[in-house]
Amino acid sequence: MTEGERVRLIRQYAAGEITWHELRERGFSDYVQVLGALGEAGLRPPVARMDGPNTDARRRGRALVREALRQRG
Amino acid sequence: MNRPFALIVTDTSPLFTLVLAGALDTLLRPGLPVRIPDAVYIEATRVHGAPGAEQIVEWINAHLDLVQIVPTDIGIDQQRRLEEGRATRGLGEQAAIEVLERFFRGDATAEALLLFEDADIEKRRAIVDQRVGLISTGDFLRELEAAGLIQSTDHILDQATAQGRNVERQRRAGEHSATRTRLRGQLARRADD
Repeated sequence: MTEGERVRLIRQYAAGEITWHELRERGFSDYVQVLGALGEAGLRPPVARMDGPNTDARRRGRALVREALRQRG
Repeated sequence: MNRPFALIVTDTSPLFTLVLAGALDTLLRPGLPVRIPDAVYIEATRVHGAPGAEQIVEWINAHLDLVQIVPTDIGIDQQRRLEEGRATRGLGEQAAIEVLERFFRGDATAEALLLFEDADIEKRRAIVDQRVGLISTGDFLRELEAAGLIQSTDHILDQATAQGRNVERQRRAGEHSATRTRLRGQLARRADD
């Protein structure tokens, strides 16, 4: 992977256009490399929008965490 | 929430993000038992001296009451593949599914929360079962932020990328240094000829 490809992929990742799964398939060997490349480019890891095929399960997940935190006081 | 419950880590990315940000303890804030499939643990820690690996091991050992590494058949397959030099990509997620199935086999009324990386969970279809909730690193941090338990999600993600950048620079400096040493050796050998 050239430096240019690496930067292009990491920008696509930060923009939510491609997944970590795809980055791995295209040559990133571990997530530390991804975090490093994001840091070099002044970018942040993407935070998923509440959209896509898992929305209900994710809402359920957030509610479960909220409830656990509430019970902990 | 009186039924058995577990937070299952499906991938190394939440562990690396949180360890580089110095925020692994955030995983314990909800007070849920954390289960890390062996394949995920091995992937995160198998390279001796790799960034974050040692801290992950230390953190798990410091919290054995809440954090458990779960052995799986996929983990055994992973070991075999590593020995044979074959690819091990994606095995963490498969091991997490196995952990989940074993967990439900123990108690069909249990509930589980699967922790994923953000981009993957937004785009790739995961399990749909009413007993399972999915959460991404970002969603998880946002809930902690809303509960006032962390300063901000962005701050943690920025810390992780800043530390990741330092690690990558050190890695590259190490590679350059090794290249220079090799080059010096070659030049010295030529001078001797």
